[in-house]
Amino acid sequence: MSNPRFVLVALAVSLLVIGCGGGQEQVMEDPAPTGPTPEELAEAQRIEDSIRAYNAEQARLQAEREAEARETARRAAAARNTLMQAVYFDYDESNIRTDTETALRAKMEILRANPGVMLRMEGHADERGTSEYNIALGNERAESVIQFLTGFGISADRFTSVSYGEEQPAMQGSNEDAWALNRRVEFVITAGGDAIVGG
Amino acid sequence: MMETAVRTLTQSRRPPRTAFLASIVAHGRRAGIPALATAAVAVAPALLAAQEEGVIPGVALTLLYENRYVPPIAILPIATTGDSPEVGERVGAILARDLDYSDRFVIVDSLPAVFSDEGVEYGFWDQYGVDWLLTGRVERVAGSRFLSVELHDIVTADLRARTRVPLPAPDHPDFRMAVHRVSDQVVMWVTGEQGMAASRIVFRMRPFGDPDSKELYMVDSDGANLRRLTWDSDLAISPAWSPDGARIAYTSYKTGVPRIFELDLARNTERSIGPANEGQHHMPAYHPHGGEIVFRLMSRSVDGLFSYNIRDDCCLRQLVSGLSENVQPSYSRDGRSIVFVSLRFGSHTPQVLIMPSEGGRPQTLSPYRYGQGGFFTDPDWSPLADQVAFAGRIQGRGTYARYHIFIADLDEGGSRLTQLTREGNNEDPSWAPDGRHIVFIGERSNGTGVFVVDSVTGRTRVLVANVDAEDTDWSPSLGADGASRSTRGGPQGGIR
Repeated sequence: MSNPRFVLVALAVSLLVIGCGGGQEQVMEDPAPTGPTPEELAEAQRIEDSIRAYNAEQARLQAEREAEARETARRAAAARNTLMQAVYFDYDESNIRTDTETALRAKMEILRANPGVMLRMEGHADERGTSEYNIALGNERAESVIQFLTGFGISADRFTSVSYGEEQPAMQGSNEDAWALNRRVEFVITAGGDAIVGG
Repeated sequence: MMETAVRTLTQSRRPPRTAFLASIVAHGRRAGIPALATAAVAVAPALLAAQEEGVIPGVALTLLYENRYVPPIAILPIATTGDSPEVGERVGAILARDLDYSDRFVIVDSLPAVFSDEGVEYGFWDQYGVDWLLTGRVERVAGSRFLSVELHDIVTADLRARTRVPLPAPDHPDFRMAVHRVSDQVVMWVTGEQGMAASRIVFRMRPFGDPDSKELYMVDSDGANLRRLTWDSDLAISPAWSPDGARIAYTSYKTGVPRIFELDLARNTERSIGPANEGQHHMPAYHPHGGEIVFRLMSRSVDGLFSYNIRDDCCLRQLVSGLSENVQPSYSRDGRSIVFVSLRFGSHTPQVLIMPSEGGRPQTLSPYRYGQGGFFTDPDWSPLADQVAFAGRIQGRGTYARYHIFIADLDEGGSRLTQLTREGNNEDPSWAPDGRHIVFIGERSNGTGVFVVDSVTGRTRVLVANVDAEDTDWSPSLGADGASRSTRGGPQGGIR
């Protein structure tokens, strides 16, 4: 409708209709070959410009919104990643190492921002020691992580723990490299995982 | 006179079986359990070898030689009536292997041809040097098969016993088990004691092509018939037979939390057992009456041994309190005591303890000595005697620790240990229903596998070779429907 060419044609047609008034037959005259006036052209250009500007603004806003959504998703993914990153322990220990503490503090922020998220802590041990003792050790590690987080005011109701002992090594092998990766607590999101927001 | 002479002659031809058993005698006393005086027969060269082999802190190692006469038995080819000779051959092969694996006979295997079908010529067999003669026949009558066997006592020249039992078709899954039960009958006739041919062993291992799971497997006592029991694609741990042999309880992670399940082998069904409240449930063991289990319950607030009534689904009870881990329970044969492993002396010095089954003050069974550590785990109470088998770590040559299977004899105050294994590393022992053989996991230079050792002669055989198995449990004696026999004990009251 805002096409200037269309406006001109509509104008010509309406003039023609007015000229036919009076019921009398008249000889049809060819309308004079008139072009749009400079005023009309300027008006059309003005309209066209404003439409283009409007469209550009809409596209910019859309891109902004998309970038924002991407960033939100990225942060949620990062938060989810941070939350699920395993933490590691020293041989035959369930106390929190400094690197583990850093990792747990990052998790804590995410848990605070996402009160609906619930976690299962899965404790693991390396292969040394009896398998029964390692069940206990894996459990102590999971409980130790829970204790750390609840110490910062996060409700213990949001956590469950399970120990796998030495049953599910992250890395096969009877060497320190494998053992170090196997002495760990893994985190499984059991609820609220779809609505995580990044910190 | 003539007969006596022959008897002497044949005895001299009989290969005497000498068992080489290592015994460990604890010095001194421990709380509650008096130690034996160290009066074991010590043979100088043997003692030297034992000292090279390894030591347990506070325990002296000696070797005891045990001489025991093992009677020769001849098994005649199993005849067939109305059936293919091959069926008879198969029955004969199963009988011969069972009786060999019972470790109670010398199987005489190069037999003279016997042409007469007119009864047993005792004089002939006497001169041939056998003490027992087993004859048998498979009859096929109107679609049904029967196996009849006769046991002849060559020394007294008479028929000792006979039996006739239905025999399933050779391709029927119960065919072998029917023959195994006849083997146990023969053992009972001769010794008055319970055999173990009609039994199975359950264990767990990684299935092929599924590196993240462990499933339950079962195998017959002679190593035949290996088959998979669970298909959960998850972790299965610590299977335990019910006393009637019809069910197997085990821990599975398939719900995300370790909980105890019970397989019904005949019905091929499964149910969850144990209290429904929170906590992680491990290591079930049945009370001898079958209606109760003891297991390890671990939660945020507790890690201990509990009993639970699985018949009425009620009555959770904590048996031993305290923060130290108490694990791996096993009931005594009378159900009055529980043997278990405690980490109260330190997480790396597990010890075997015994307490009343309703709870109470435990006593150490393994030779723990303060400040000297020691490592004893995997206890299993014999179904027929007050003996406990367990795995212990001893210091081998150099710095390498070795794990071996031991038996503690409670009749002798629990202070005397018999070492059953001599090579590799060994763990997870479980008693056979004959109270004599023990299945265990052995790690050898050529691979890990499931082994069986005879605690009397020390003879060891491979049950399942080259499998990364764990957590063995030997069934009770199995009856016709796979369940345990209702009656135990023999004509001579041989079951203690």
